[in-house]
Amino acid sequence: MNTLLSVQGLRIRLPTAAGLVTVVDGIDYEIEAGQVFGIAGESGSGKTISVLALLGLLPDGAQVEGKALFDGRDLLKLSRRSLRDVRGAEIAMVFQDPMTSLHPMLTIERQLTEHVRFHLGLSAAQARQRGAELLHEVRIPDPDSALAAYPHQFSGGMRQRIAIAIALACRPRVLIADEPTTALDVTVQAGILRLLDDLRRRSGLSVVMITHDLGVMSSIAGWLTVMYAGRVVESGPTGEVLSRPRHPYTAGLLAALPHPEAAEDTPLRSIKGSPPAPQARPDGCTFHPRCQYAVPSCSVNVPDLARIGDERRLACPVDPLAVPA
Amino acid sequence: MSLLELRDVEVEYRRAGRAMRAVAGASLSVDAGQVVGLVGETGCGKSTLARAAVGLQATSAGSVWFEGRKLMALGRRARSRRDARLQMVFQNPFSSLNPRRKVGDQIADAMSILGLAPAGGRRERVTELLDQVGLPATAAERFPHQYSGGQRQRIAIARALAAEPSVIVLDEPLSSLDASAQAQVANLLKGLARELQVGLLLISHDLAIVRHIADVVNVMYLGLVVETAPTRRLWKAPMHPYTEALIESIPRADGSGWLPEALSGEVPDPARPPAGCRFHPRCAYAFDRCRTDSPPLADVKEGRRVACWLHAPGGEERSPSAFAKRTSG
Repeated sequence: MNTLLSVQGLRIRLPTAAGLVTVVDGIDYEIEAGQVFGIAGESGSGKTISVLALLGLLPDGAQVEGKALFDGRDLLKLSRRSLRDVRGAEIAMVFQDPMTSLHPMLTIERQLTEHVRFHLGLSAAQARQRGAELLHEVRIPDPDSALAAYPHQFSGGMRQRIAIAIALACRPRVLIADEPTTALDVTVQAGILRLLDDLRRRSGLSVVMITHDLGVMSSIAGWLTVMYAGRVVESGPTGEVLSRPRHPYTAGLLAALPHPEAAEDTPLRSIKGSPPAPQARPDGCTFHPRCQYAVPSCSVNVPDLARIGDERRLACPVDPLAVPA
Repeated sequence: MSLLELRDVEVEYRRAGRAMRAVAGASLSVDAGQVVGLVGETGCGKSTLARAAVGLQATSAGSVWFEGRKLMALGRRARSRRDARLQMVFQNPFSSLNPRRKVGDQIADAMSILGLAPAGGRRERVTELLDQVGLPATAAERFPHQYSGGQRQRIAIARALAAEPSVIVLDEPLSSLDASAQAQVANLLKGLARELQVGLLLISHDLAIVRHIADVVNVMYLGLVVETAPTRRLWKAPMHPYTEALIESIPRADGSGWLPEALSGEVPDPARPPAGCRFHPRCAYAFDRCRTDSPPLADVKEGRRVACWLHAPGGEERSPSAFAKRTSG
């Protein structure tokens, strides 16, 4: 095992009008080289905030505890200047909406070469050459004329490919993709997923994939971590977690998805209620008010993320979905 | 005649002095108690067609018929009382509800404008509507910001129901919601259609959810409806190559690691659609005729219409890939 990034006891509090609110409440995970690591969860689960913290991109006044070891360094303790050398160069990020993450008034060349010159010290001509190679790598037709074009001249899918090219420009070892296909049509989504998978295979890139879409996870993530209300509730190899979910929340999410073989007119099985707001999270297991298996202790004790089997972890002492041996 | 009928509707926008047909002759219909899905990629014209269906967008050709009468596009005057039985729910309940007015007051508006409930009985009716969408009566006294996205969408649905509609057009009503809220609202919509016998036209890019709640699905590509079929039969044997590609590109959350196929090429510019069949440059089955002649949306079997030269009237219900397998093997 070759652990590239190890997050331990990460806890994040954000300032709000009502004081500091805990949005991420002690999470642990390890990301291996050349892996697509999936972080799933609904909006407000803390999945995006937890990775923004690694890059020092939290709003002012945020309090962060824990460790994030990357190559022997703790990202959470690095100075602004040293973090700047990591960000973009070693760990890069792609955001959900390529309409807003690209600058509308700058050419693709300008956006694609800026940080290459900054981080790698290339000349303008070298950087341009590198830009064309990158566009070719993400399969943008006619890279040379694309360099001179502006974002609005491309479709949504092409824009996301360009955003990925920008992220890859300095050959980072980790690419964090936050809902990279959520704003795209399914037909275009498939192309982006294939591209990410291909990059991982060919260049050993590690991808941290953040999405609420378990279908997307199933198709490309090797490892899956499921978050609910600021905590990890379950993790393990994606195939196992999705085919045999052990946490009631994971099972509930899967059951809420339309099933191809469902009989006609059967309602979708939704989880009752809705996720709590960060300032109103319940005591004990944060999922207990919505859980059909909850026992009295669930509202008191915070469950540990315990090892089950060789690779999987589960934060549910009740474990109602355990398969009898 | 169906409650809502769109016949060869065309909508033209002017862009930089040039005409662009966002909808290039689309037909579909909605019956009482029926959930009709309209799916397609971004830019295919489905939202424009939805707006034309409720008169928010003037058509440049074709016609919209509602309850047996021709629907006129909305001008400066208020919508007639009869046309108010055609309602619309928008994608984003964060912007479609007024943040400064109480939920109950917003729902009661339609009743006072249309004179549907006596002033004394409105409160009771609001409670009934809230109950129909699964919210407690106390919601009437609260404000939209006190609710989650899924609950707000329920409020928007209750507000549409207040006008006692026979048809509701919903433009991407589920796409801003999380998975569990999505399932709840989807179940609600299907239940309302059945119980109240309201016809629903559901516009969505999410085929999985449409598959689950629609009785009939219309697939749009570049301004045209290319296939219409009962949901189950569409999924069993998508007849248009585009429909088949759309279905094949949906990832499945089964943990199998299966990576969906990408559809080749890009959606063309609607201002310059390809000659012949508009899908032919991206179609794996295109032959000579597809490049020159545009296929009409024709009846193939009872309830199934497809615009594709691969299929002849009365032909078998099979997908293009099954067809190709048989001819090559």
